Amino acid sequence: MKPLRIIHLFPELLNLYADQGNIAVLRDRALRRGWPVDVRQVRLGETLDLAGVDIILLGGGSDREQEVVARALPMYRPDLAHAADAGLPILAVCGGYQLLGEYYELASGERITGLRLVDVATRAGGTRLIGNVAVERLTPSGQGTGETVVGFENHVGRTHHEYPAFGRVLRGHGNNGEDGLEGLCHKGIVATYIHGPLLPKNPHVADQLLRTALRRRGLDRPLAPLDDTFEWAAHKSVLQMLGLSDGGSVRERLVRS
Amino acid sequence: MTSRGPMGNDRMGKVCVILAVLSARATAFALRLLGRRATSMPGLVALRLCPGLLGHLLRQLDAFVVVTGTNGKTTTVALLHAILDGQDQPWIFNDGGANLTQGLVSALLPYTAVSGALRHRRALLEVDEATLPGIVRLRAPTLLVVTNVLRDQLDRYGEVDHALACLRAGVRDASTTLVANADDPLCASLGLGRDLTYYFGIADAPQDGVARSEARDGAFCLQCGAELEYTRFVFAQMGDYRCPAGHFARPERHVAGSLPASDAGRLGVSERLSGSRPVDRFDLPLTVAGLYNVYNLLAAVTAARVLGYSPARIERGLGFYRAPTGRMQTVCETPRVVLSLIKNPAGATAVLRAIEADAVDKTVCFVINDADADGRDVSWLWDIDLESFVPRAKCAVWWCAGTRGPDMALRLAYAGVERSAITVVAQLDLVPGHVMHSGEPVYVLSTYTALHALSDMFAVQRGRAV
Ligand SMILES: [Zn+2]
Repeated sequence: MKPLRIIHLFPELLNLYADQGNIAVLRDRALRRGWPVDVRQVRLGETLDLAGVDIILLGGGSDREQEVVARALPMYRPDLAHAADAGLPILAVCGGYQLLGEYYELASGERITGLRLVDVATRAGGTRLIGNVAVERLTPSGQGTGETVVGFENHVGRTHHEYPAFGRVLRGHGNNGEDGLEGLCHKGIVATYIHGPLLPKNPHVADQLLRTALRRRGLDRPLAPLDDTFEWAAHKSVLQMLGLSDGGSVRERLVRS
Repeated sequence: MTSRGPMGNDRMGKVCVILAVLSARATAFALRLLGRRATSMPGLVALRLCPGLLGHLLRQLDAFVVVTGTNGKTTTVALLHAILDGQDQPWIFNDGGANLTQGLVSALLPYTAVSGALRHRRALLEVDEATLPGIVRLRAPTLLVVTNVLRDQLDRYGEVDHALACLRAGVRDASTTLVANADDPLCASLGLGRDLTYYFGIADAPQDGVARSEARDGAFCLQCGAELEYTRFVFAQMGDYRCPAGHFARPERHVAGSLPASDAGRLGVSERLSGSRPVDRFDLPLTVAGLYNVYNLLAAVTAARVLGYSPARIERGLGFYRAPTGRMQTVCETPRVVLSLIKNPAGATAVLRAIEADAVDKTVCFVINDADADGRDVSWLWDIDLESFVPRAKCAVWWCAGTRGPDMALRLAYAGVERSAITVVAQLDLVPGHVMHSGEPVYVLSTYTALHALSDMFAVQRGRAV
């Protein structure tokens, strides 16, 4: 099998929340299933060759770093827009989520233009939305799946959009602290404010990205199960910390309500 | 802070100070009766009653030395205190790392008369970066030491940029002498366009030739955003660097350390405090373990030299130094148990380097909590360079505990530790029994809120073993 090719975009600038942890998880879960993996780092200013690419990861940086990245985005936009349209899996976390959109409006009113891959606007709010977070994954039609995703959020930006959300907030703030929704799913794009990093404690999200990547190669088959005891122990410890005893009982409660 | 003095110089102000001092004393006394450590609470009580008390006390000082920065504050203060104290006049200092406003007041209160007058007029205080701007507004330090500027507890202060903004506010007063780390670009940038600035750094360090992937937070030119070019790395973003466009480069070091080739050697120091003076050379005992602590030692030595202390007096003072709680502190002798605070990726990676240098078979335990003082966001665990540590650790059994023990276990698994070799201990008080069982040397790395509890628990175990 041709190696699974993962691109980490601008890791030298967008690595605020240990996003290389997400790469490590994708690599490890592919290797443990016997697939070779090829991770490529594309630094700002380097050319981006999307031929044969299976997954793209875009992390978050500080405001200063995101401004530096935003200035260089126009050269990458045409290729990325084409790939996103074709359903390439793109995982964008925190600042990366904001950069996928139309713009980020600073408190001063100044707008930092994003990649404009999705019709999403983010505006700086008055307070930092910060803390542990748990969401229930939603289907594209907005139905609860009973699956939880846990992590940490830390953002000043309030994000609004009309796409299906990544999840429904059980604990925490989500996109904007108002509408109870978190993140975005559109075609292959999974965008979220949840870091921690996202994938180690949420192996089902990692597998979803891997499955999408394989399906695009015409390999539509279930993934071999892995021993995820440590993964779910860490996941459940966060649910418990937030007063959500575990994934199963969340589902039961959701069904009852 | 609303008022400048306690409340001006009126009767009400004096009453307020007296009440605050008396209440704080009563609080400290009650805490001692309960067997609790009185680090911040008395100050908190005093500030409630008299918000202007800290300014009132600080303005009475003749010498006000502040140590700040991301890592190494507590060790640097302990080293500098060992050098300065016990000489002609005693120095007030805050041991135990209580470095927020209430902790500073608590440190000054034992030397405060009921009238509000300070008995000693020299203070050496560790101050948290975020607290610094408020302190400097009350009283500009005579000497300010900045150890380094690294990524720390993101959820508390936002980002490195915020810490840097706080430090810039701290060095604004032109009468303050700044002692800064030349090898750290973010720290060194504090001295740009500023007089009365002295830089320290490491001139020679043995290289281990291992390619490491470390968080390098300051590796960009603050003027043009270009990635800095390094001709040498010491650790994290410390090293010899320059902006490719020529905006910024590592400044000349006024005090430069050269590490000895062997463990038994001494630290070579070459010093040139002013351009007109010839280079002085002397050497000092290496009283600390770990490369990161050499920077702390150099920070303390530079501050002492700037304050006029001779190399001979510095050497004598260093003989009194004892590692503070949890700073590579040996908390038990048989088996040897070493406790070390970890709170951010660069610091934790530096501690791992020091542990790796101890080439014996060992047990390693991580205790990770996520209270406010630890950093609620544990994503920093993934920025620690465990990948290069694990194959060199000579550790067969790994333990994890704390509220985020399961997160740490997962992190270790991804760093290449066999899952069957990792055990999560659910209760903190069970940690000493488990980790000391094999009789091997034990390294315990802990975040802040578990540190003192662990130190006490191992002390009890030590009592049992005798
Ligand atoms: Zn430059």
